Amino acid sequence: MDVPTTQSPPATATGTADDPLWYKDAVIYQLHVKAFFDSNGDGLGDFRGLTEKLDYIEQLGVNTIWLLPFYPSPLKDDGYDVSGYHDVHPHYGTTEDFRRFVEEAHKRSLRVITELIVNHTSDAHPWFQAARRAPKGSPERAFYVWSDDESKYQGTRIIFTDTESSNWAWDPVAKQYFWHRFFSHQPDLNFDNPKVLEAVLKAMEYWCEIGVDGFRLDAIPYLVEREGTSNENLPETHAVIKKIRAELDVRHAGKLLLAEANQWPEDVREYFGEGDECHMAYHFPLMPRMYMAIAQEDRHPVVEIMQQTPEIPEACQWAIFLRNHDELTLEMVTGKERDYMYQMYAADPRARINLGIRRRLAPLFENDFDRIKLMNSLLLSMPGSPIIYYGDEIGMGDNIYLGDRNGVRTPMQWSPDRNAGFSRADPQRLFLPPIMDAIYGYEAVNVEAQSREPNSLLNWMRRLLAVRKHSHAFGRGKLTFLKPGNRKVLAYVREYGEEAILCVANLGRSAQPVELDLKRFSGRIPVELLGRTPFPPIGDRFYLLTLPSCGFYWFRLATDVAAPDWHAQVLPPEERPTVVLFDGWSSFFRDRVVPWRIGMALKTCEHFETEVLARYIEAQRWYAAKGEPVKRAKLADWALWEAGRASCMLALLDVEGAIYFVPLSLAWEDREEERVRALGPAVVAKARQQARVGVIADALADEDFCRAVIEAIGAGREIATAQGKVRFSPTSAFAALAGEDYMSLPVGRPQAQSTNTVVTLGERLFLKGYRRIRPGVNPEYEVGLFLTEQARFANCVPVAGAIEYLAPDGTTMTLGLLEAYVSNQGDGWTYTLEYLGRFFDQPRAATETAPQDVHGAYLALTRVLGTRTGELHAAFARAAGNPAFDPEPVTAEDIAAWKRRVQEEAAATLQLLEKNLSELVLPAREAATALLAQRKQLAARIDSCAVSPGPALKIRYHGDYHLGQVLLAKNDFRIIDFEGEPARPLAERRAKHSPLRDVAGMLRSLDYARWTALRAVTPAPQDNERLAALALEWRDSARQTFLEGYEEATRGTGIYGSFAETRALLELFELEKALYELRYEINNRPGWVHVPLQGIHELTRPAPGP
Amino acid sequence: MESVDVYLEPMRAFLTQVGAFLPRLALAVAVLIAGWLAAKLVKFAVVKGLRAINFNVLTERAGMDGFLKQGGIENDTTDIFGVLVYWLVVFAALVIACNSVGLTYITDLLGQVVVFVPKVLVALVILAFGAYFAAFTGGTVATYCRNVGIQDGELLGKIAQYAIIVFVVLISLEQMGIGGATIRHSFLIILGGIVLALALAFGIGGRDWAAELLERWWPRRNSGGK
Repeated sequence: MDVPTTQSPPATATGTADDPLWYKDAVIYQLHVKAFFDSNGDGLGDFRGLTEKLDYIEQLGVNTIWLLPFYPSPLKDDGYDVSGYHDVHPHYGTTEDFRRFVEEAHKRSLRVITELIVNHTSDAHPWFQAARRAPKGSPERAFYVWSDDESKYQGTRIIFTDTESSNWAWDPVAKQYFWHRFFSHQPDLNFDNPKVLEAVLKAMEYWCEIGVDGFRLDAIPYLVEREGTSNENLPETHAVIKKIRAELDVRHAGKLLLAEANQWPEDVREYFGEGDECHMAYHFPLMPRMYMAIAQEDRHPVVEIMQQTPEIPEACQWAIFLRNHDELTLEMVTGKERDYMYQMYAADPRARINLGIRRRLAPLFENDFDRIKLMNSLLLSMPGSPIIYYGDEIGMGDNIYLGDRNGVRTPMQWSPDRNAGFSRADPQRLFLPPIMDAIYGYEAVNVEAQSREPNSLLNWMRRLLAVRKHSHAFGRGKLTFLKPGNRKVLAYVREYGEEAILCVANLGRSAQPVELDLKRFSGRIPVELLGRTPFPPIGDRFYLLTLPSCGFYWFRLATDVAAPDWHAQVLPPEERPTVVLFDGWSSFFRDRVVPWRIGMALKTCEHFETEVLARYIEAQRWYAAKGEPVKRAKLADWALWEAGRASCMLALLDVEGAIYFVPLSLAWEDREEERVRALGPAVVAKARQQARVGVIADALADEDFCRAVIEAIGAGREIATAQGKVRFSPTSAFAALAGEDYMSLPVGRPQAQSTNTVVTLGERLFLKGYRRIRPGVNPEYEVGLFLTEQARFANCVPVAGAIEYLAPDGTTMTLGLLEAYVSNQGDGWTYTLEYLGRFFDQPRAATETAPQDVHGAYLALTRVLGTRTGELHAAFARAAGNPAFDPEPVTAEDIAAWKRRVQEEAAATLQLLEKNLSELVLPAREAATALLAQRKQLAARIDSCAVSPGPALKIRYHGDYHLGQVLLAKNDFRIIDFEGEPARPLAERRAKHSPLRDVAGMLRSLDYARWTALRAVTPAPQDNERLAALALEWRDSARQTFLEGYEEATRGTGIYGSFAETRALLELFELEKALYELRYEINNRPGWVHVPLQGIHELTRPAPGP
Repeated sequence: MESVDVYLEPMRAFLTQVGAFLPRLALAVAVLIAGWLAAKLVKFAVVKGLRAINFNVLTERAGMDGFLKQGGIENDTTDIFGVLVYWLVVFAALVIACNSVGLTYITDLLGQVVVFVPKVLVALVILAFGAYFAAFTGGTVATYCRNVGIQDGELLGKIAQYAIIVFVVLISLEQMGIGGATIRHSFLIILGGIVLALALAFGIGGRDWAAELLERWWPRRNSGGK
């Protein structure tokens, strides 16, 4: 099953404290302390403010914070001009504030990355001031790169083309030119001087001690200069990085180096070394290509750049981003592409700066949420650790009228209050004005509004990040592109170990279909991750998907999830085996062929039983022993039946000792082409007889067969089989239910269920073919007959007739049932889960508490359910004159026997639990250990249950009652499926018992609904507790209402003396059911064990006062 | 005394004869009983055996069982086989019994019956296989005609089937030695009649066509002159 979401932290949760590869699963939130939150009202953000807002960052779902420079600086380059490595800029607070921030962040499992700007310093840095004043050749001056003329290093490009004309700048004090790759106020440090490296390492050591988890190495390719080179990516530079890394590994293993190298991938590859340089590096070229792919509506740019991306060492990781504090750099694209990008994304020349575009994510896409979401989905699913730039999670805008790149560095928009809630200062004191326009202004776009709006970009980001957190495949998986014919669709698979995530994105502006070649994953079920919806399984053909404009899907290709129940497993007929017939159906029966064909008949029959039927049965939903191969499905008994146009064989198959009912229909292409086509999805085998070809198919998919069955039921026919006979019999309700014209009703497509196959005829009849056949009267038929004909209970499904098999020894087996069709809105289980899903979605983001009667409409239905349940039991209790139904009084021995049984089951369950204890996940294991320790209390509790329930009745009851067994129709419920628990023998299913067992079943079902719904909502960890509390509240009120409705309907029926007294008996049955569930979950779904455990725990607690 | 002897002589002779006959009679009775038991056993074995090799399916497919049913006979061909075998054995036992008690005439009479029954059996087998072959051929012809698009394929199939059945019936009758020349002659007459009827039918039906042909091959002189 899916990863648990409540209670337990997900098993694959990322970012565990001691994982040395934590950065591979990191989701980084990039922010500037200056722009985030101002705690002291001076117009500038500070560390205290940031610390206050850590909860917000945690709730967003990221796990790492990357701080832009906060060191002392003249702030001519937004802090990248450092004038002191061992301090915090006084604007932002003190070193003490920073320490506290790191501490608080670590408490929230957030890691902190800071900048290590080592290529250059500010010209205000004491080192530079000392250097310019020190004489030429002195160690002080050797901290920087000096020259007497500008002719050195001519091959070096100028990066800031808009502001700088040379890499050399004249210093009048030093009377020399100094080297600067960036602004002329940022002299480059001289890494040929070992003292420089020493000083840098000292700074690094300082911040490591405070608790910083990693460093972004700014402008790393430019450290060392050599004549005659481009002065980028020099081997000497790599040598310096290796030294830094070695130093870091020795003293602070597990801390991160992130290289900022705006280079082509093959050059960036060098910065990983052999895993001995940086842990991470930016993938610069990918970013513009994601924009380009969307602009061109073609996947090519992304696919191409990822294919050119070299492999990186195992322990290394790419850092990927959509936007950052700099311009959207277009250095890594060709000239033509750059022109295209400018045209598409920066039509206003003011939006351009250097070789890039200075805009935020939302304005780049004209605030089109579809494309913004699509871009984010790409970012979060491409190989690498994604970086989210602050403000982009709410779709903040920019201000291109501010100088340099300040337009994308405006204050974070927290609320519609003054200064966007960023600061209490006078607006004119702010370091930059907040965005105030109509579209992106803080009154339209802010955290407060988006937190409360469930469908806001912010909440969507939270959901997406929560989903991403559940799989290592996003961060660590191998990337494989699929190449569907539709080039507007980008599809790729991320694989990590057994996990596989399929990502499909529509880059086009209109809806797009796509056919994906997923043969490699044949048989897996794609589960859409945002909604956790299972899709039809992947087959051997192309997997067809349609995507809305700018839509995307993330699928987990699951092996542990069942296909959606409406999915019809269709094996194309050509892939079915062929049966060669020589004499129609007779070809299978040695005593039905002419003498010289006997041998052939034996062979045909064997082939049919071992190859065709066995393979067919194995694949059916209704085959009970799933997963076990079938050796032979032996034709135990059969009747040939010419049903209208259909030539049918009613076959009873002996499959490994169990009897299955498989009616088959034979259709030949030359005569009944249309029928052959209609049978297509249900084909068991192709058939050939001389020159004729046709199909053998499941007869329940054959309209003619279904009609003939109704007709035969109406007429009460009997058909002789080889050994016994098949009897069709109507009930007295047949005529009323079927009407006159039942032969012309449209026949629906058969739907396979877990134990039977159902076909609807019009909106009138419902033909249910049982598959696994057991000797004896089927309780569903028996009870249905009783409720239809004797009790006239309106809220069940009336029975119109049955198909029975009479074996030669006289035993009867029910093969099928004809019931009235009840138009409905689905079963109670689905309805409840959907209801809860909606309920959980609504208040998740909102801050206000739910209104008192929030469940009013649902609870009204629950009351009806309770009433109908009570009425059903009352109907059973009124039975008279039918020994199979007549009520019997509950005796003291009965109660003792029930208790004994529960005691025995409890002992067996605990034993099983003990044996499987080691396989349970942590929270369930704790609960299990606690339960094992409470062995005695449990036994005592069982004993104390039902001491004297007063006079009560044993009657027939539903036997397998839960929310899935009631259909919601017109605000009322129809109770269906009186088959009882399919795993139990018929005699036991037909035995009388206290009907409170049904009530207990429904109560447990409500509890399961709670957990299932909790698990189905996309988890945001911080919501878990609140949602769990809401769910508990819901369950308790649903329980309460259900019991009230039940009590009202059963009062005075004699089922019990007084309801209050029977409560104890009810608890006994609830305990029994929970124990049963526990056994089931241990054996089948260990991930769910905590549900019954919790239930047992609740029941074992000493009973609250009356 | 002698006279008594004389009187008693025939008596003695009679008694002697009776004495000699009684064991033979006893033997005959024993043979009969044994034969009857054997007949039951053989009948059972034959029916079982035939059913085991699906002879009943053959006769059913050949249409013989249906034919019998239409005639109001509940048993199928296999049962008739059983009955025939039963009587064969019973008659054989009777022959032995009669022979042992010296009823030569009856023995001869019964002998003929005993010789005849196997012929009937063989005739039945011929009939069964022949009729199956007829049904099979009829089906094949009909299917073939349908596939190549000849109309009235069903009719042609039936004709083929019944023609073969007629032959088969004749062969079986021949096998039983019934009818002999009479049937052969009447068959020839019927066949001749059919051929003549066909020739006439084609002749009359195709007269115009034949006339046209003749006209083309040997045009009448006078017609050219007019």
